[in-house]
Amino acid sequence: MNLMAIGIGMVAFSCLGAGLGLGYATARAVEAVSRQPEAHGSIMQLLLLGGALCEATAIYGLLIAFLMIFFMK
Amino acid sequence: MEISQPVLFTIPLFSGIPVSRTVVVTWIIMAVIILLSLISTRNWKTVPKGIQNFVEMVIDGLNSFTKTALGSHWKTFTPYLGTIAIFLIIANIIGIFGIKPPTSDLSMTAAMAVMSIIVVIIASIKAKGVKGYVKSFFKPMPVIFPMKILELFIRPLSLAARLFGNIIAAFLIMEIISKMVPIILPAVCSLYFDLFDGLLQMIIFVFLTMLYIQEAVE
Repeated sequence: MNLMAIGIGMVAFSCLGAGLGLGYATARAVEAVSRQPEAHGSIMQLLLLGGALCEATAIYGLLIAFLMIFFMK
Repeated sequence: MEISQPVLFTIPLFSGIPVSRTVVVTWIIMAVIILLSLISTRNWKTVPKGIQNFVEMVIDGLNSFTKTALGSHWKTFTPYLGTIAIFLIIANIIGIFGIKPPTSDLSMTAAMAVMSIIVVIIASIKAKGVKGYVKSFFKPMPVIFPMKILELFIRPLSLAARLFGNIIAAFLIMEIISKMVPIILPAVCSLYFDLFDGLLQMIIFVFLTMLYIQEAVE
């Protein structure tokens, strides 16, 4: 059980990459909007899509953690 | 906290077909959708009034949204996109009523993802013909062929895992919160985890399916 707890904790590192990626994407989107406020709509759409794809990586990590908790006993 | 879905009853046919809770909740949602669509489309007039106003607004929004993305093919694929949008809205936010959402079962989301990828393949064949579809596997260069084959499996896998992961995470977090702090906080968190997250995941699922169709018909 102890080793598994460490493994589950390490899965949480997947959040690191997703957080960095989302922060970078949002920063770029803010920059783009401040340069060209009239393109706000399409930038927002692209940001949402990129956010979804970024966030999926963190969700996969969470999924692996859940699977470890529930099925590896 | 249970991640697997219990079997409610078995249909006594061909040595017993097990029916899990997911299937029963899906039946309930289907019945609600059929009833709502029957009630809201009765007695329509030329000048919209009441509920007709709302329905027309939603359908108009969906049509213009898909028209800009899919071009001349919008009429074939808009009904499918609208149907999965309505189904996923109800399925994702049904957690508010204390029912475990059916999208927190991996088999459910996997079925939705397989449906979406079949629609994408049909769209590609419809736009390019069978020969053009086979040729599109070798498109920029023949080296890319294994990647294109892999893509056929990666896309539904990522669609299914994303929806399932988000909904099960929201559900488990809500369970933990309502066990630890049973007053006030669950109501506030339910706004985000049940309503907003469910709506966002629905939008992302429909948007990605539309994007894949758009790529296929180009």
